[in-house]
Amino acid sequence: MMKNKKTYLLTMIVTCLVIGFASYFAWKIEFFEYTSGLENITGGPISYIIALLPFLVISILSAAGITLCIYIRKYYIKKDYVAGKFCEERAGRRTGRRIGGRQADKFTLIRWVSMISSTILLIFGARMFGTWFSSIDLPVLSCAIDGEQLGESGCYYLTHLSDLFTLPWKEIIMFLLSLFGFLLLFGRIFCGFVCPMGLLQDIVHSIRQGLGIEGISLNEKLYQGLKPVKWFLVIVFLCLCFVGGNFCNFCPAVSLTPAFAGFKVSLFVSGFIMVMVIVGSFFKRRFWCTICPMGYLMGLVYKITPFRLKKDCQSCTECGACYEACPMGIKSIYTERENEDVTTTDCIMCGECIKKCPENNALSLKFAGKDLYKASRKSFMFGYKEMEKKNEHK
Amino acid sequence: MSINKQNQNLSQVEQRQRERFISKSTKVAAKYLRRMEELPGAPDEIKPYFEVLRNIYVEQMNIPETNGKKAIGTYCVMVPQELIYAAGAIPVKLCSGSYTAFSIGDDVVPRDACPLVKAVVGFQTMGTMPIYRDCALMVVPVTCDCKKKIAGMLGEMVPTFSLHVPSSKSEDEDMEQFVLELYQLIKVLEQATGQKVTYESLIEGMEQVAYAQYEFSRFLEYRRQTPALIKGTHVMAMMNAYSYMPVEKWSSQLKRLNARLEQNKKNKLYAAKENQPRIMITGSPVIFPNIKLPLLIEEMGGSLIGDETCMGERMLYDPVAVVDESFDGLIRAIANRYTRPCTCPTFVDNTQRIYRIKQMIKDQKVQGVIYHVLRGCLVYDYEYQVLEEELGKIGIPVIRVESDYNEEDIEQLRIRIEAFIEMIKLGGNKNGR
Repeated sequence: MMKNKKTYLLTMIVTCLVIGFASYFAWKIEFFEYTSGLENITGGPISYIIALLPFLVISILSAAGITLCIYIRKYYIKKDYVAGKFCEERAGRRTGRRIGGRQADKFTLIRWVSMISSTILLIFGARMFGTWFSSIDLPVLSCAIDGEQLGESGCYYLTHLSDLFTLPWKEIIMFLLSLFGFLLLFGRIFCGFVCPMGLLQDIVHSIRQGLGIEGISLNEKLYQGLKPVKWFLVIVFLCLCFVGGNFCNFCPAVSLTPAFAGFKVSLFVSGFIMVMVIVGSFFKRRFWCTICPMGYLMGLVYKITPFRLKKDCQSCTECGACYEACPMGIKSIYTERENEDVTTTDCIMCGECIKKCPENNALSLKFAGKDLYKASRKSFMFGYKEMEKKNEHK
Repeated sequence: MSINKQNQNLSQVEQRQRERFISKSTKVAAKYLRRMEELPGAPDEIKPYFEVLRNIYVEQMNIPETNGKKAIGTYCVMVPQELIYAAGAIPVKLCSGSYTAFSIGDDVVPRDACPLVKAVVGFQTMGTMPIYRDCALMVVPVTCDCKKKIAGMLGEMVPTFSLHVPSSKSEDEDMEQFVLELYQLIKVLEQATGQKVTYESLIEGMEQVAYAQYEFSRFLEYRRQTPALIKGTHVMAMMNAYSYMPVEKWSSQLKRLNARLEQNKKNKLYAAKENQPRIMITGSPVIFPNIKLPLLIEEMGGSLIGDETCMGERMLYDPVAVVDESFDGLIRAIANRYTRPCTCPTFVDNTQRIYRIKQMIKDQKVQGVIYHVLRGCLVYDYEYQVLEEELGKIGIPVIRVESDYNEEDIEQLRIRIEAFIEMIKLGGNKNGR
């Protein structure tokens, strides 16, 4: 089965590449310049739908890719001596029955609300509130507003470093101040709470959970394999502007928020990558975040941000639930026994580890020493209370 | 009735041996049950658990209320109960504490084997206990040398599956391996019961066990009260009864017990006095009827408020954390729960057990630890040194108590435990606690 796993992983990657490549031809459907402006939307709902066409094409291609991957995997599982017997069960949920005991907690709710509202703001914000905040740089993609240089996003100037120094010094200072101000205050909490790419990936992940389709189980080796990709992307992200072109030509996010804001965007390479991001994050939660160059750069300041993930090393039972739950695959969170601070450069502060932790106060998210969210056995077990009635019927 | 037929074929001597075995083992079990019941402070809600132990060990009955479900014999804490319920069967924990069976097994297995294994082999060769006789399948995790060898011995008598537990769990591959092992186990279970494990039945099984763990986590909250609301010996009986009860029966009874403890807490009806030394047991399992150690502790004036043993809290403490809701994800979650947090000394690196014990000492305000070692239980004996050193640093006294499955050492144990409890009492006064 281990061997099969490798085979189907490889096949899935190839499938993704082929389907992604198909999106190369999507530019024929709609190929407008990225900077065509906000007024496109005034053309009524039809022009908005046209603007969304590239995203629809990406969605359809991703759905096709996901289905293909599932079938390929099923084929390999079927061939397996032991697991072949369970291939029907493993293919997904057939009834609506879901396991009880799922926690509904405030923190997760706040995170979802925050992600959805920030996505809406990043898409329609300029139109809703005007452009008074135009010189604030959020350290996340906000190209939808940025298209008309209404508000600037941190990643725009990081990918256009060659342009940055041609700006008036006031703007350079404003850029540095607001970017680093946000970074030092929030760190990668932007990834978990604000980023629209994060929202998209979380939605795709929830769809998989709802369907009961298995993902790619976590593996350290897999993360090791993704590291060179991340390094490569970081280099491209920062340096491409010096040799011509820029990262925005590849950035998968370009086909997300700008399209929803009504810009007519080309699919080209960014669409190609977007398909892979969606297929990848369907099987592996927050797949893009593990290789996102902007996220990596934001994570560099993790040592001084006031948001900290703390661990009570004594009460931890090393059950590994946090490691299983972590979308970023941070292993040190469950092996750590010395250091109380388990914040790492990869941590996106999504709180999934705390949600799945059954030990009182073993994990907690703190802001400048104050508890925002902490693990509790009571709230972990409370989900199972609903089984009480079922048990009485027997 | 096939038993009678079998009996007729046996020679006269064997039959007499068998009858003597039954009468002797039931007498010992009845004696320890009586001693437990005589220990004051047992709430009425704990009595059904005594009743279960009586039915199994004294009345020589099989598990009641099975509704035609097959019984699957399991050993150790690493056999996922969820999977057995999902396959439409009932798990029975067969690790045994019987003195009489021990003396039979003593002649069969090597002298240095642990008494637990000797007792199991004793019951299996005598074939008088219905719970051992009527198992459709035995699942034996390979956790120590003795368990490995009885897996082979049992395999000659009954269908047996040996579950390979990874010896270390830090690498992802180890977990991967155990997941595969569980798939194999499901396959064997399906063959034994004739029922398919489906996504729905797996959820059903998981929810049943999870509910028991929910009630148990509430129970632990009550157990942490000072002074204790319930006697530790009675808790031991309750945990032992879990081995022989369908989980839904066990948990609904525990719900009633929890309600009673809540009342007792309000009315300040404690099972121990304010200044009684708070003792914790760790090490080899305390299995009925070998319940002499907890009995001695509480008869000598100690208050047994916690245990870190595989027939106690470890059995139900760690919940399954479902992260991925697919069938494979559920199996992975189960595999995780049964190995990673498990503090069994079979694992190569088991420092987490020290942390666990320290945390329990903190949570339950333990004043002294009794380290129970069954003779020949090497893996537990190995870990005593480190634990003694670590607990010495935080000023918690530990004694190592070695015992066997007989009553010869009972007086010696009594003296040692009495001295230990006295020492804690005196030490407590000195520190003004």
